[in-house]
Amino acid sequence: MDRRLATLLQEKFGERLLTPVRQRYDESEIRVALADATDTLRTLHDDPTLRFEMLIDLCGVDTGEEMQVVYHLSSSTSGDWLRVIVPGLDRAAPRIASATFMWPGAEWMEREAYDMFGIIFEGNRDLRRIYMPDDYRSFPLRKDFYLADDASRSPAAGVRNMERAGTPANATAATVLRKSPGV
Amino acid sequence: MTQQMRPSLDDPRVAIPAESTWYEPAPIPQTERQAEFLTLREGEMFVNMGPQHPSTHGVLRVIIKVNGEKVVDLDPVLGYLHRGVEKLCENADYHQAICYTDPLEYVASLFCEAAPVAAFEKLMDVEVPLRAQYIRVLTMELNRIASHTLFQGWMALDLGGITPILWAFIERDEIVDMLAALTGQKLLYNYYRIGGVNGDLNHEFMSRLGTWMSRAAAQIDSNLALINENEIFVRRTRGLGVLDAKTALKMGVTGPNLRASGVPYDLRRDRPYLVYPELEFDVPTRDEGDSLARYLVRMDEIKQSIRIIDQVLHEMPDGPVMAKLPRLLRPRPGRAFGAVEGPRGVYGTYAISDGTDQPFRMRIHDPSFVHLQLVGPLTKGNLIADTMAVMASLDPVMGGVDK
Repeated sequence: MDRRLATLLQEKFGERLLTPVRQRYDESEIRVALADATDTLRTLHDDPTLRFEMLIDLCGVDTGEEMQVVYHLSSSTSGDWLRVIVPGLDRAAPRIASATFMWPGAEWMEREAYDMFGIIFEGNRDLRRIYMPDDYRSFPLRKDFYLADDASRSPAAGVRNMERAGTPANATAATVLRKSPGV
Repeated sequence: MTQQMRPSLDDPRVAIPAESTWYEPAPIPQTERQAEFLTLREGEMFVNMGPQHPSTHGVLRVIIKVNGEKVVDLDPVLGYLHRGVEKLCENADYHQAICYTDPLEYVASLFCEAAPVAAFEKLMDVEVPLRAQYIRVLTMELNRIASHTLFQGWMALDLGGITPILWAFIERDEIVDMLAALTGQKLLYNYYRIGGVNGDLNHEFMSRLGTWMSRAAAQIDSNLALINENEIFVRRTRGLGVLDAKTALKMGVTGPNLRASGVPYDLRRDRPYLVYPELEFDVPTRDEGDSLARYLVRMDEIKQSIRIIDQVLHEMPDGPVMAKLPRLLRPRPGRAFGAVEGPRGVYGTYAISDGTDQPFRMRIHDPSFVHLQLVGPLTKGNLIADTMAVMASLDPVMGGVDK
């Protein structure tokens, strides 16, 4: 683990970080508010001491209560990895600024997050469905989207049968919805 | 008899209206970029490539806007192979999720297993036995060679050469059979487990590997000589689809495509996992960034992989191949990103645990998905036939792109 990176991030961003820098194995993690997301990414990319030039991954996360956008950055010069979590997107109408101003390669990953979660990336000039057909109406990776033949999630069948013995047989979708306090 | 006037193609009565180039209702533009793409200027028309086109390496449809023989713009249409693997993984337990990720890239499926396994092991704080780490490196490098030899054959095939793919399949089939002897499966191995591998190396695998290793280097060299000195191949790929280092970084390119643009970034060296820090190998790079460089970097990597396999066979210790784990895995709530350097770039898995036996969210990052974005920018202004050459040199696999 790179302690130097943790102190560097702490002094660069200071009170902008929602939680202290977390480090586990070779990953560092910061959380920033929605309003600070663009500035933070720009600083991480441009600052000569940080230089996180590569966007390895961009994805959406639905925690059941809110949406998140998660960026995995890597530095091609120092080899450090950083996860930037932007929590607190409204689940009813998730919106965030696009990262394509800095990484044009984020365009398709944002299209995918839009397709799967309905997150609107403002500034992405090609934000339309990428996998699902154009006339598709749902967002499949949202937690309230259930698979039609999902045996494992149903209270009465599947591999979790034994563990779910306490679940009433007439449980509605809302009671089975998993909500994670930890993420 | 009066002479019949032959109709001119400029005659408005015989001119084909632009909208009739669509054999289905013309799409309604939804974005600024799509509207720009769908606007035809003087002399332009749409050509549809795929979804059943052999050079698309899977099921991909590309709408190409052409002016004469030149590509003006193109728009890939994805989703023909979309299976919703991420959603399926959220509804499977940690062991089951691994076999869902297997068919993503069917030519390099061990890497698609290795990334989620790495993420899960971080979530669960599992220490992998040393022998299992060596076995993983050995099998991954074999799979990398199989993938790169297949790439070599494919690329030549896309450029019109038939012989190289037949030669490439000899090497590739030998590796596939070898891994089948080890894992019981020809393509979708499902060999890695959380905490180790499924079964130790067996006699048939080792004897086949020994025989293959004794002639592999010479055989691969002769395969390379078949193409590398072919004037048509070299002339068609040199200087085609040049990707400079700065654009490559901005586009999120990884793997051999990035190294062909002169950025020596390799996870095996820059973010070491398994036993790679103890092994000696070079990271081949090229500065040109064209299709030929992308091809040559991969061919250099085959040689490095053989070098790694040689070291692994000499240094592999004895011992267990699985860590002791409970059958039902329930990691503590947390997040982990596992990444491995595959034959196409960084395969990553971002796993979130909520304390149950199923991943709360599992994100699969596939390098082919990112690389396919480049086909548009790299082919603008080239001939239609060069689209296939550029696409082949980027080496996307649609199973991974569509997830």
